[in-house]
Amino acid sequence: MKQFSTILKYELKNYFTNKVFVGVTVFLVLAIAVAMFFPRITQTLGSGETDEVMDPTSLPTMLVVSDSAENEALLAESFSAAFPGYRVVLSEDSTETIQGKIASGEAECAFVMKSLTEYTYYVNNLSMYDNNTGVADTVLQNVYRISSMIGSGMSPEEAQNVISVQIEHETENLGKDQAQNFFYTYIMIFTLYMVIILYGQMVAMNVATEKSSRAMELLITSAKPVSMMFGKVIASCIAGLIQLVAVFGTALLCYNLNTTYLADNAVISSIFDMPVDLFVYMLVFFVLGFFIYAFMYGAIGSTASKLEDINTSSMPITVVFVIAFLVVIFSMSSGNVDTLLMKVCSFVPFTSPMAMFTRLAMSTVPVYEIAISIGILIGSVIGIGFISAKIYRMGVLLYGTPPKLGAILKAIRNS
Amino acid sequence: MKLEINNVRKSFGTKQVLKGVSLTAESGKAFGLLGRNGAGKTTSIRILMDVFPADSGEVLFDGKPIDYSKIQFGYLPEERGLYPKKKIIDQLIYFAQLKGLSHRDAAASADYWLERLGMTEYRSKRLDTLSKGNQQKIQLITALAHDPQIVILDEPFSGLDPVNAMLLKDVVKEEIAKGKIVLFSSHQMNYIEEFCDSIAILNDGQIVLSGDLRTIKRNYPRNRLLVRSEQQEEIKAALGSCCTEDDNGALLITLQSPAEKQAVMQNLTDRFDIDEIKVFEPSLNDIFVEYAGAQK
Repeated sequence: MKQFSTILKYELKNYFTNKVFVGVTVFLVLAIAVAMFFPRITQTLGSGETDEVMDPTSLPTMLVVSDSAENEALLAESFSAAFPGYRVVLSEDSTETIQGKIASGEAECAFVMKSLTEYTYYVNNLSMYDNNTGVADTVLQNVYRISSMIGSGMSPEEAQNVISVQIEHETENLGKDQAQNFFYTYIMIFTLYMVIILYGQMVAMNVATEKSSRAMELLITSAKPVSMMFGKVIASCIAGLIQLVAVFGTALLCYNLNTTYLADNAVISSIFDMPVDLFVYMLVFFVLGFFIYAFMYGAIGSTASKLEDINTSSMPITVVFVIAFLVVIFSMSSGNVDTLLMKVCSFVPFTSPMAMFTRLAMSTVPVYEIAISIGILIGSVIGIGFISAKIYRMGVLLYGTPPKLGAILKAIRNS
Repeated sequence: MKLEINNVRKSFGTKQVLKGVSLTAESGKAFGLLGRNGAGKTTSIRILMDVFPADSGEVLFDGKPIDYSKIQFGYLPEERGLYPKKKIIDQLIYFAQLKGLSHRDAAASADYWLERLGMTEYRSKRLDTLSKGNQQKIQLITALAHDPQIVILDEPFSGLDPVNAMLLKDVVKEEIAKGKIVLFSSHQMNYIEEFCDSIAILNDGQIVLSGDLRTIKRNYPRNRLLVRSEQQEEIKAALGSCCTEDDNGALLITLQSPAEKQAVMQNLTDRFDIDEIKVFEPSLNDIFVEYAGAQK
């Protein structure tokens, strides 16, 4: 136990004196801080310009050519209301003149009406986000409906009321609100993915470096493989968690400092409104998921003689992990996280940290299922921890080509 | 203290590496484990240190199965290497702590040994800034800093200059004088011959010769005389075919029987101008080549 804590301290110290680790953490903290302060900064800087934007002469010009004189007033009024970002100008120019005005930049776009239900839209460069025709269609539909109703004897007020009738509704959600939970589930899954891949590789590198520098020759006679393996993996988990706490802690702090500027943003406020129980589940699945993969990466690292071997040797683990990630992400975006595949995945220890957490966050899962999933996961972590310590004990003394998986399993069974 | 390995066998896959190895090493004496490359020396050492278990056989300490939680080993591996990018003092403290020392004791011991080996100036340097010989001295500290009862040195002299080799010799002699069990493994026979009271020669997973080095040498037939003289040619002429010359130019005289040696020595010193005359004993090198070289 003393040996384990010595190793844990030494490995932790290695992380915190590692310039890259410290540099990346500081960079992430600064980046998140800047991102969270961004709306405040832009609002403060932009406050002087708001009046200028309101000046109608600075707005781009939209020309509207009416099909008939009686519709002119109605069209001008409806378009002005529907396009607050434009200065709507009625025009009687010919098509050629209008095209010329648009090409020269005098006007930005133009609607030339053939009737209330048919028009041509002229624009110089059609932007990807240009939905003016969509807006115009709605405007014209309403104009057409109102004028038809007036034509059949309704008063303009009555027609207006029929068109703009409001439907009231309420939603009683008895389970989870997927729209609200989507973002933090996504962030958690993605963070888990990044951290496991990065730290897993770091553990593998760490072991392989000790092996290739031959420090292992001394280590293996000084400390028990189980202490070595658990010391390294737990140290990297703590380092990872501290990094995450630094980044998300900064985010939370900055969010609280800027609530007034960020409150309008539904995505951001939904992230920071995560329920406490879900946060606890997140920690549990995070730590266990981290362990299970870090142990495997550690074992892989011990079988590699050269650092270059790690990438090839760790390929199977990475592939399993990436597939698990994709399954979860696709289920999330499809909106149905309770498919048979997801249910199976939420009990398989290699996929359950991501799959079960997603189901917890975006659906309603019976308590016994959660308990079973966590139970299997804890059992697997301990089992895989000891198996990888065994692989480690054998692997570190083998130099040359990394052994095949079959050979490793056989040797474990024999020992 | 007495350390014994009894009839230890070990196979890796289908390859039998140790085929019933038995050794005995005692405190206050140095033990030399010799063998050609691949003879099973490192495997024996690893089994001794419980890196992996033997297939059969046992390791005894003072006659009882060894308790690894109580007995401390110090090990200088043949494949040297520590953390190249780390500060020397940090690594020394780390390894001593792994062996059970408190941080304070580990630091004190590391500083003592840095001083003893004249390495104090490198205390806060990174290991990879040191020369190979100096790195080896640092590695030696990791083997000794926790004051182990059993010290295992695998090729300790390789890579050391004569001054450092002398320093290491002094350190090893001190450790032996403190009553520790010192186990050497080396190909450099002159050092083994100088230090080790008893040896074992391992060949192809078996002990082919073991015991007290002096006794081994004495057990060789004492029927040869080694003579150095200005008049070697005359001696050759006088004694005839029983004379040969060895690699160093000394004269080797083979006698009919060991009983004659007194008379022949007397006879030669009376008749010729003799610089040196003694009963010929084979060097450890000769013994090693005879036992480890011939087979396999």
